[in-house]
Amino acid sequence: MNSPDLPISPTEIPLRAPSSVTDLSASDVDQVERALIDASTRVPVLMFYTSAVAWLLLGTLLAGFTSFKLHSPDLLSNVPVLTWGRIRPAHVNVMLYGWASMVGIGTAIWLMARLCRTTLRHPLLIVAGGVFWNLGVLLGVGGILAGDSTGYNWIEFPSYAAVVLFVAYSLIVSWAVLMFRFRRGDPIYITQWYLLAAFLWFPWIYLAAQTMLFIVPVQGVLQAAVAWWYANNLLFLWFGSLGLGTAYYMIPKVTGRPVYSYHLAAIGFWSYALFASWTGMQRLIDGPFPAWMITASIAAMILSIIPVATVGLNHHMTMRNYFPLMRYSPTLRFTVFGAMSYTAFSVLGTLISLRSFARFLHFSEVSIAYSHLGLYAFFSMIMFGAMYYIVPRMVGREWRYSSLIKLHFWSSVYGIALMTLMLLVGGLVQGLNMDNPTLAFTESTQSVLPYLRGRTLSGLLMAVAHFIFAYHFGLMLFGLGRTASVPTFLNPVEPDTEELVAH
Amino acid sequence: MKGFTALILGIFGTLAFSWIGLAFIPNLQIGHLDPQTDEEGKDAYPSPKSGMAERGHRIYVANGCFYCHSQQVRADYAGSDIDRKWGERRSAPRDYIFERPVELGKMRMGPDLANIGHRAPAEEENAPAQTSPAPPNAAPGTPAGSPVAAASPGAGGSPAAATQNSPPVPSQPAGSQSPAAPPAPPTNVTANQGAKPPGSPAPAQANVTSAPPAQASPAQSTANAAVAGSSPALQQAVAAVAGAATSLQPSPSNVPPTYSAAWHHLHLYSPRSLNLDSGMPAYKFLYSKRRISGQPSAETLKLRGDEAPGPGWEVVPTYDAECLVAYLMSLDQSHPLKEVKSIAAPPSPPAPGKAPQ
Repeated sequence: MNSPDLPISPTEIPLRAPSSVTDLSASDVDQVERALIDASTRVPVLMFYTSAVAWLLLGTLLAGFTSFKLHSPDLLSNVPVLTWGRIRPAHVNVMLYGWASMVGIGTAIWLMARLCRTTLRHPLLIVAGGVFWNLGVLLGVGGILAGDSTGYNWIEFPSYAAVVLFVAYSLIVSWAVLMFRFRRGDPIYITQWYLLAAFLWFPWIYLAAQTMLFIVPVQGVLQAAVAWWYANNLLFLWFGSLGLGTAYYMIPKVTGRPVYSYHLAAIGFWSYALFASWTGMQRLIDGPFPAWMITASIAAMILSIIPVATVGLNHHMTMRNYFPLMRYSPTLRFTVFGAMSYTAFSVLGTLISLRSFARFLHFSEVSIAYSHLGLYAFFSMIMFGAMYYIVPRMVGREWRYSSLIKLHFWSSVYGIALMTLMLLVGGLVQGLNMDNPTLAFTESTQSVLPYLRGRTLSGLLMAVAHFIFAYHFGLMLFGLGRTASVPTFLNPVEPDTEELVAH
Repeated sequence: MKGFTALILGIFGTLAFSWIGLAFIPNLQIGHLDPQTDEEGKDAYPSPKSGMAERGHRIYVANGCFYCHSQQVRADYAGSDIDRKWGERRSAPRDYIFERPVELGKMRMGPDLANIGHRAPAEEENAPAQTSPAPPNAAPGTPAGSPVAAASPGAGGSPAAATQNSPPVPSQPAGSQSPAAPPAPPTNVTANQGAKPPGSPAPAQANVTSAPPAQASPAQSTANAAVAGSSPALQQAVAAVAGAATSLQPSPSNVPPTYSAAWHHLHLYSPRSLNLDSGMPAYKFLYSKRRISGQPSAETLKLRGDEAPGPGWEVVPTYDAECLVAYLMSLDQSHPLKEVKSIAAPPSPPAPGKAPQ
């Protein structure tokens, strides 16, 4: 499927000397090698992707329900399983552990195999890990709906589900270490830094949180500190690393240009590891904690502008002059949107963590906008982009309808943009009213209701996007994609950009 | 970025740094707090919750109450929590040493609950020891003298229901000692309408005793209070709104005092019968409807209108609901802490009056 004359050719891992790109015979060998690697990852990657898409649909339904019940509280409120306070964590956890983690792991498997230039040696290990992971999420969501939530944000899964998840994770990570042992070619590409880091960070934060919250629980408010430390690191060190690592692969890959600067990438990575991991306490701003903890996290949020700026600059400079390619490549379009959202997400995060803003925005819907900007506009969009790139290589077919891809993209973009807007403005109104003690408290919750209705509308758009995507993905899975040697472009190639595409 | 080893070491090092900084060191600093006691080692605060309240805590968690209700009072410079009468001082780490899980909350689609038990009428039998009012009970009522406080009580709670009466609560027994006299605290709408001009009903009394009626009017609703001096049309509109609320409560004596256990049950069963603006889902599944056999049960919910179960039937709380309300009634951070400045900072007499319980 990867003939050397592809218009958007999956050229070389940008690490290598550009001269080898033109070296046809070497290129042929590489093509065969890649095909072998792709074939070896086929079963586990598709398994993770299929599970992820299934969870995405379930999570979307739960999300719609959550959003709708927030402004219409009487809907089905008499069924304990469907009460708002259970549907909400079910939605969040399905999205976090079902959709986002599984699609992230699936993508990481493929990226690692490609970048380590080794075929996947123990696919059964990962498949077993995937089965256990699904089981863990199922148990966890079932537990939440049955009323077994632990009561900590983003770690609501009861302990029986946590154990299963952890077993699953150990299987997956042991594979990742194996993979690294057999890697060929010594230079470690940027994406591998991020993926390896994510794979090592996740079990640590998960185990630390589980231990400090449930096994040997810390006292009082420290539980909240540990829970937020975990949640924020899950967002930054797990999802953030997976997302950034993927973007560092996809953008150079599709444009066929090496990453602009390795120095910038290194600065970005290490400052990210250092500063992003120190955030979290800003979510407890002005709470019952020693002020230094919160101030440290606020400072870390401000300092994390450094990795954001370096990563953003690096991606931008890599993309420079190649932005028109977004007209054609679905992968690039989704990935670049995600990478840009990463900047917006980080800037918003820094702003709302400042004490002068937090006075009004803390305890308001703005924090929901922030999470969605991070998990959807940044992470999920990059993952959609990766799937548009990887799935054809797994099933040997190209995406069938460019129109469906475009619909998916625009519904997602308009959906998340509307949602962010509604929650930001609504949250601001809510927060300002809440801060004004001469107004009744219900004034603040009443004033946000119209925006919450708007948010439900935006959720509908995103639901449309997800169902379209799931349908398209299903077609691919059942071998109903196009048989073509050319990837599916979003638009026919126009003469003035032909040169770029052919590059 | 030279090699694999450096990468692995860096990955572990950065997270270890963060873990030590944000989890390990704080644990050394505030991870081993003891309850505070006075000089004689008595009056320990906080104390562990009762079994029922603990079980109620689990119900609270299971149904995700904490997604909309925070349990933390921010300092006066950081937010309007204290102006809203959600507490008299900011919350401190020591307040939570027996809480597991801790429900600090991150969203306020509903009011803060850190002191919801304290704000209950004092005669509640299951109010914890520290809430029971001491004789010179001016402590929470004192700020009523300040203009801010005069404006805020209405804002603090649920104005449409106009049942907010938190600040003077402990004063109530001082004024009307009878515990079983719901009509006495004029906290419901009808009573308020009569008492619209602030302070009119019992202006002659001393500050402390006059607190309940005086508070009643701002309690009606902020809008109402603000409108009191303005156009009659507006006043009428407000009255109409209040009336609408009242129509759900044909008999004022049916409305239990705000934040009393009975009120919580009604509120959990049917939030909008008490507060039209409430966005809280109903938790009817925590209640059971059954045929009255013999005498109606003492716990029967006093439901009205559409919610009423019909003759011969009654709605009673399940054990889970009883526990949940016991948990709510146990939420109380009013006890002074040495490390936190109480904002209410009542002049010396009330403080000792409250403290040694």
